[in-house]
Amino acid sequence: MERSSPIRKERNMATVVSKQMQERKERLEDILVVDCDVHVHETPGALLPYCDMPWQKALEAIQYLPEESYNIPGFSPGESSGGYQAQFPTGHKTVRKVLTAEQMRTELSAIQVEIAILFPDQLLKIAVLTQCDYAAALGRAYNAWLLDQCASVQHGLLACILACPQNPVDAAREIRRYAKEPAVVGVYLPCAGLDPLWGHRMYDPIYEAAQEMDLPVLLHSVTVTHPVFPFNNHGFDTELARHALSHTFSIMANVTSMVTTGVPVRFPNLRIATVEAGVSWVPFLRNRLDKEYIGKRREVPFLEQKPSFYMKQFWNGTQPVEEPENLEELATFIQLSGEDTVLFASDWPHDDFDHPRKVHQLPVSNETLRKILGENALRLFKIDAQGRRVNL
Amino acid sequence: MQEYAVGKITEYPQGSGKVIKVAGREIGIFNIRGRLYGLPNTCPHQMGPLCASGKLTGTLIATKDTDWQRQWSYDGEVIQCPWHGLEFHVPTGQCLALRSVRLRRYDVVVDGEEVKVRF
Repeated sequence: MERSSPIRKERNMATVVSKQMQERKERLEDILVVDCDVHVHETPGALLPYCDMPWQKALEAIQYLPEESYNIPGFSPGESSGGYQAQFPTGHKTVRKVLTAEQMRTELSAIQVEIAILFPDQLLKIAVLTQCDYAAALGRAYNAWLLDQCASVQHGLLACILACPQNPVDAAREIRRYAKEPAVVGVYLPCAGLDPLWGHRMYDPIYEAAQEMDLPVLLHSVTVTHPVFPFNNHGFDTELARHALSHTFSIMANVTSMVTTGVPVRFPNLRIATVEAGVSWVPFLRNRLDKEYIGKRREVPFLEQKPSFYMKQFWNGTQPVEEPENLEELATFIQLSGEDTVLFASDWPHDDFDHPRKVHQLPVSNETLRKILGENALRLFKIDAQGRRVNL
Repeated sequence: MQEYAVGKITEYPQGSGKVIKVAGREIGIFNIRGRLYGLPNTCPHQMGPLCASGKLTGTLIATKDTDWQRQWSYDGEVIQCPWHGLEFHVPTGQCLALRSVRLRRYDVVVDGEEVKVRF
């Protein structure tokens, strides 16, 4: 057997000596990766068996409608993928779907992810549905389907219960109903097209239930053009512009709303996380709200501390991770956001997903890498390294 | 420099591409109007399978010469990474979004019916 040279052996071990630290960078394969944002693909046909009457009849009627880019009339209406502009030929198929738990497990393993937190595809836009009873029924059907068909502790696929904003009392019931399921680790708060924002007191039943059941709430938006702030984005003539801003502006609006109506004060044990907004907005908003607080404290007298105190307790997913040429800048954003509350997220299978190796490249210590890639998520979701809940 | 046979010319129809594995490398071989090009199957962005779609397309450009109006161009000469859509001009290896990035190109020759890659 040919003896490999020291240089080849070094390369074969795929280690990189961190420039900043006097330690060898751990291999990605040796770090637990908990992916805080992956997407299952629910369709009218998939939810049909789980849906209450009379709404089941409506799903039956639309189950064969062609699906174009997460825009099914009567299910997930709203323009999310450039439908208001010319659609040129492309070599890039932008809509990837994961249809089964087995497919999800296989594809996540291929990108080095061990445990993943499940979010919907179409029902990222559930908040735009104007028919409140239907929306609530869809939310219930999604939760039942998710638990039955997708979530599996054994496969490392853990679920967030959808809290339908159109009916917070029903959403609270759903949270309590599934709170003790081993595969349920959080509550998904839809932000796309949402009005009013998540700070409104009407949503208190949801926060009460989540806090009582020791489940974190996770805010997740999507790009859509809809006549509510901040989705009135029709003034941009490119998907580039809309997509660049929509997720993050939505999360910022909702975080601002929640902090300035006192959600973290009224629910002091509620863990709150944001997903798919990146991290570079976090220091901006903390500083901005603190600056406003100086002269406007009397508007938010229930806050015992300045706004950033509460924001520092929020958790934030990395995706879409900022990719400056100098990765030191990204490391700085993460340090400013808080290395104990930043969560790796891929957004698999969406076309703007991040491979964990992008975060792995960061010039930070191995300890920080392990936190961002997995350990912080274990604390947020109160799970162990095998994805089992420790708070049941 | 070595030469590797990677199949017959009939396996590389015009206007398409496919990924072949040879000598430990994955290379995308593209046939653009009868001429063959080779690019690495690794995207410099996040190491995705750059050539996996095999689908050649064009793109939009807008320059001072076009008075900044969009123009369909490079028809059949552009490949997009299936992971995030990053565009590359196949004949030159030039990344369209990241100006400083140009892929290495592999020499691909047709010897009779045989297609050969050199590296």
